[in-house]
Amino acid sequence: MADTLQILKCGVRFDPPALVLNYKDRKTGKLRSRSMPLRNFNKNSGIDRIMQELESNPRHSKFIRLMSPAQLQRLLTIVKDKLNGLSLEASIARNNLMDQINPEENLNKVDPEILQRKKLLMDSSFEKKRIKPGDPQFEYNVEVDFDEVAIETSNWDSDNSEIDF
Amino acid sequence: MSTNSQPDYDKPGDEGEERVKIICLGDSAVGKSKLVERFLMDGYKPQQLSTFALTLFNYKTQIDGKTVSVDFWDTAGQERFNSMHPSYYHQAHACVMVFDCTRKITYKNLPEWLKDLRTYRPEIPCLCAANKIDEDMDTTKKSFAFAKKNNMPFYYVSAANGTNVVRLFKDSIRAALAYKHNSTDFMDEIMKELENFELDPIPSKVKDKEKETEKITQEKS
Repeated sequence: MADTLQILKCGVRFDPPALVLNYKDRKTGKLRSRSMPLRNFNKNSGIDRIMQELESNPRHSKFIRLMSPAQLQRLLTIVKDKLNGLSLEASIARNNLMDQINPEENLNKVDPEILQRKKLLMDSSFEKKRIKPGDPQFEYNVEVDFDEVAIETSNWDSDNSEIDF
Repeated sequence: MSTNSQPDYDKPGDEGEERVKIICLGDSAVGKSKLVERFLMDGYKPQQLSTFALTLFNYKTQIDGKTVSVDFWDTAGQERFNSMHPSYYHQAHACVMVFDCTRKITYKNLPEWLKDLRTYRPEIPCLCAANKIDEDMDTTKKSFAFAKKNNMPFYYVSAANGTNVVRLFKDSIRAALAYKHNSTDFMDEIMKELENFELDPIPSKVKDKEKETEKITQEKS
């Protein structure tokens, strides 16, 4: 059922807060728009809880499931920022930063909402590359020896911190 | 299912089978859970131990004709507190230490994890895995000094496409059993294999340290 719908665009409306989707119904070929009001959403709402509510809402879930969780979280965060008085520009800048994976950033130390966001980003990349049971290339046990390849020392070992090892 | 006490790994299980405990360590979001899930495959429901923020995956297997019950312990986000509750290490027989080969910081934090591990479990075998090699295959052409310096078997793995995941966990089970049976044969075997390939330019200081480690290892065995 959900497969017949294709999301074209998604965005938010601030007043009153809502998620807005433009999608195509493949069966009829029609372009449609759907607005999902974010009721009881305020500046203190947990993004996590709102996401769960949307995912389990019988009227919205088939649309929500088509969105990537990382994008859903981003849009809800922008709405929440707005409710907290942040300008749209400032919120987008803040969200762009959150959507980057910095290889030097210690994710053990960021707050749980940011960690979750980064995990969702990594998850979408993981899902893209994932070979699942049922896929033609799937094999349970994949053993590859890399030792024969000419090995160079990782430059991660070349700075001073290796003394700690 | 939720329980408040952890099993006693010194005692056999309900059907007389041997039990081992294998713990996973490493930074947030390096893919520890994804690796265990890839090994155990889809649909596996882990058990939550509610007292300690952790997830426990049980796996039964046959080793040399005997049933072995393996518990893989996963941190469930507890790594955010930078060190684990001592109960996480209690009675562990082996450790799988993971870093994300796309994020340098997760490699640089390994010494901290090892320090924490050795505070509670000075002797258990520890295997080191570079995860997410599918994101950057060049990683597999590189050697990482941390594993070799600390006498750890090293694996290039990917939870996404499955590369070396089964090998990593099967080896960890063999290492855990070998440790439990007080035998160092398994680790010796792996170390022999690792010594067969030379690492490119190693600073002389490091070489000396390594010689010392080798000496110590030899004296022990």
